[in-house]
Amino acid sequence: MGKFLFWTLITVILVFLTVPAVVVIMSSVNPTETLAFPPKGFSLHWYARAFTYQDFRDSFYNGMVVTLFASTIASVIGVAAAYVTHRYNFRGRRLLEFLLAAPLIIPRFTTGFGFLLVGAGLGINNGYTIVIITHIVLVLPFVTRSVYVSLVNVDRTLERSAANLGASPVTVLLRITLPLLTPGIVGGWIIAAILSFTEFTASLFVTSYATQTLPVAMYTYVREYTDPTIAAISALLIISTTLGMFIVDRTLGLKRVLAIESH
Amino acid sequence: MNDRRIWWFFIVPCMLVAVAVVMSLAAVFQYSFREFVPGSLETGGFTLDNFYSIGRPVYFLVILDTLLISFLTAVFCLLLSYPVAYALVRTQSEWVRTLLVILSITPLFTGEIVRTYAWMLVLGSDGFINSTLMALGIVSRPVQFMYTKFGVIVALVHFSMPVMIIMLATAVSHVNRDFEKAAANLGAAPLTVFWRVTVPLTMAGIVASTVVIFAWTMSAFATPQLIGGGKVLMISNLVYLQGLSSFNFPIAAVLSAVAFIVAVGSLALVQPFVTRLERRVAEQ
Amino acid sequence: MAIRMKGLLAAAILLAGTGIASAQDKLVVSIWGGNWRDGAQEAIATEFTKRTGIEVQFITGGTMDRLTKAKLSAGAPEADVTLTTSHVAYLYSSDNLFEKLDTSKIPNLKDAYPVAQRSPYTIGLYSYVYAPAYRTDLMPADYKITSWKDLWSDQLKDKLGLPDFDPSHIIIAAAKLSGADVKDWKEGIPMLEKLKPNIKAFYQSDATSQELMKTGETPVQVLLSINAYHQMSQGIPIKLVIPEEGGVVGIDAVGISAGTKMADAAYEFINTALDPQVQEKLCGIYKCSPMNSKAHVSAELAAMPGIFTSVEELQKQILVDDETRAKLLPEWKSWFTENMTR
Repeated sequence: MGKFLFWTLITVILVFLTVPAVVVIMSSVNPTETLAFPPKGFSLHWYARAFTYQDFRDSFYNGMVVTLFASTIASVIGVAAAYVTHRYNFRGRRLLEFLLAAPLIIPRFTTGFGFLLVGAGLGINNGYTIVIITHIVLVLPFVTRSVYVSLVNVDRTLERSAANLGASPVTVLLRITLPLLTPGIVGGWIIAAILSFTEFTASLFVTSYATQTLPVAMYTYVREYTDPTIAAISALLIISTTLGMFIVDRTLGLKRVLAIESH
Repeated sequence: MNDRRIWWFFIVPCMLVAVAVVMSLAAVFQYSFREFVPGSLETGGFTLDNFYSIGRPVYFLVILDTLLISFLTAVFCLLLSYPVAYALVRTQSEWVRTLLVILSITPLFTGEIVRTYAWMLVLGSDGFINSTLMALGIVSRPVQFMYTKFGVIVALVHFSMPVMIIMLATAVSHVNRDFEKAAANLGAAPLTVFWRVTVPLTMAGIVASTVVIFAWTMSAFATPQLIGGGKVLMISNLVYLQGLSSFNFPIAAVLSAVAFIVAVGSLALVQPFVTRLERRVAEQ
Repeated sequence: MAIRMKGLLAAAILLAGTGIASAQDKLVVSIWGGNWRDGAQEAIATEFTKRTGIEVQFITGGTMDRLTKAKLSAGAPEADVTLTTSHVAYLYSSDNLFEKLDTSKIPNLKDAYPVAQRSPYTIGLYSYVYAPAYRTDLMPADYKITSWKDLWSDQLKDKLGLPDFDPSHIIIAAAKLSGADVKDWKEGIPMLEKLKPNIKAFYQSDATSQELMKTGETPVQVLLSINAYHQMSQGIPIKLVIPEEGGVVGIDAVGISAGTKMADAAYEFINTALDPQVQEKLCGIYKCSPMNSKAHVSAELAAMPGIFTSVEELQKQILVDDETRAKLLPEWKSWFTENMTR
């Protein structure tokens, strides 16, 4: 009886989680411009428009560039940050931890605005650099946390045995510690990539028209047109992502990637 | 000596990022001390007037609203996410786990704009909820969800759930089942085991994730912008209205500072508590 | 580890360099998106490209957002030409973002109405009005609007939509109804306070306004005439009414960014936009009033509310000079945000 109630609750929550996605997909095939629900027919022509609309193509490419650089660099720095704050005790450690985690708390709006001003001062506002830097700063806390969780669970005796066998600290790091951190690093990278590709608020500020990412292009579109093209893009994103998650699960095992062990 | 090398290779990039954060904050916050000259981005001299302006009803009420909305979002998000996180970790069936993970995480991928727009489709007068309610005859006129705090909170909860589910799942997965088995052996009912063993053991994760979502929601922008429609204003929207649209960078800076201080304050207050909890669990 | 990091950093810098690449041979024009860009593309850009062989790249955004971004990239403008509302164009020029125009390079200017010369830095291209519009199928059959005052009627409780990015029109209307000059707009404040129960929502963009009309959330709006006609062409049954006091006139103007490297092309663009045939085409698409006296306005178009074929007709509406409006706009916005949006 308890189990039945529990799983009913879970199902209701899951319905809540998926209703928007379903509604979007159904609206995307609506033939007329009016974004109404339920849809009054079937048409794929909004998908055609989504693919051919130049701003979406350009911004998709921009998003890929920014995300790739930002999440990879952030992963590297995240390992560094987690290691340094977990393994060492130094003056200013608290301050460093705080500053690196601060972007979680600072309104993304403020971070974006701040980097826009910094970029204006340096004259680099029309390029990718400022966008990449902003994204690194924004996703770093997530990567660091993910790596940190893995790091906390690393068995120090393994490291000590390797050291006792004559391995230098660098070797221990590279051949024992880092491999053990893989789930945290990969999980962190994936979360960073997702957050970066879909980041909107800060990107709205630091991107110029030439470097705008997909979410910014979509927001602009929503402000300028009212047809279901956005629904079509969203449907594409939803479907491709779901497939992507499925593949990741089959190959890497989602639980490992998200640092969730089952008992 | 090699240890020194590791130290430097690691600390330098961290410090670079920390410097970047400080620079971006300084660039914004230095405006809070400058006098606003209407119509211009140029500012006058040093002044503390902007801080006094915060007391004005319009700003003050928006700040309170933001706190309220963030708090409610975090609490409801927790209530809905915990069961899913628990089910996700504890289910015996692999395909159920995969299904739960995919269904919970996928919303994260669609992005702020898409999810907000999707909720507009669901909440609007012509939308999913109203169409269904009218078709079933439960209501005769559309119920107002758009442009209300309720609508904004619903969308924000939905927005935060994937992150909270991941964080809570990690916490639940680290619970040592032996404690639960011991309690059951002593005669405790499953629900009691849950409340008095599992939940306390995950308390660190609960507190940490709730505060993270609270702080995150404080800076929500697109959702209140599109679903609030100018009638539900959170700090971010006001900063946008006064800052970008009216060039009042000084007020925008002060409002940002307030949001920042509140979020930092809540995290700082909670941090020692969380550390203590984590340590207590690790010691078991 | 170090090598990998350095490699990544180098690649990042390289890529960032390429990111700065702006289209070398294109004329970049800053304008509003959606139907605005599409119309300008069809009427002006195609003709311009035909005459000069230069492609036009439009960059889009909201009125104030574009101004803020332009201010922040003052030394290296992203756009060569900017099309924006005339009183906002005043703000661009007072911030030294526009070049002083050499009118000898714009021959078509001689046929334009004198009002087209908005300032030494900006040229008006077309005009329109902001006026009340309502859904004919969602309001009672005998409903009509004759004056701005009708927006205050109890019949409109919870039905009105207003723009939040530019509150000038309702403030100007309230001032006029209170018998005050625009400069003494504060006398209209009591009236504006009384309007609040009628306001259902604010729209931040053209698309939001259209959504609100389409779904009927706000069946009555203060709307830009061009947008009203665009919505009608999308099949939404709206009636646009010019109140007896007149509609609030708006003129969209164009300026050349200071520091642009495509000055000659920019002048040619403006000249093309003022060409009588181009003006006819543009106004046929937008449903606006041309600035070139030689542009022919069809009888059908001239009969529509909000279209003017002569300066005299324009004078009968509510006109506010650019400088006053520009100087008051920030004050209006601050006041509006603080008092009306809650």
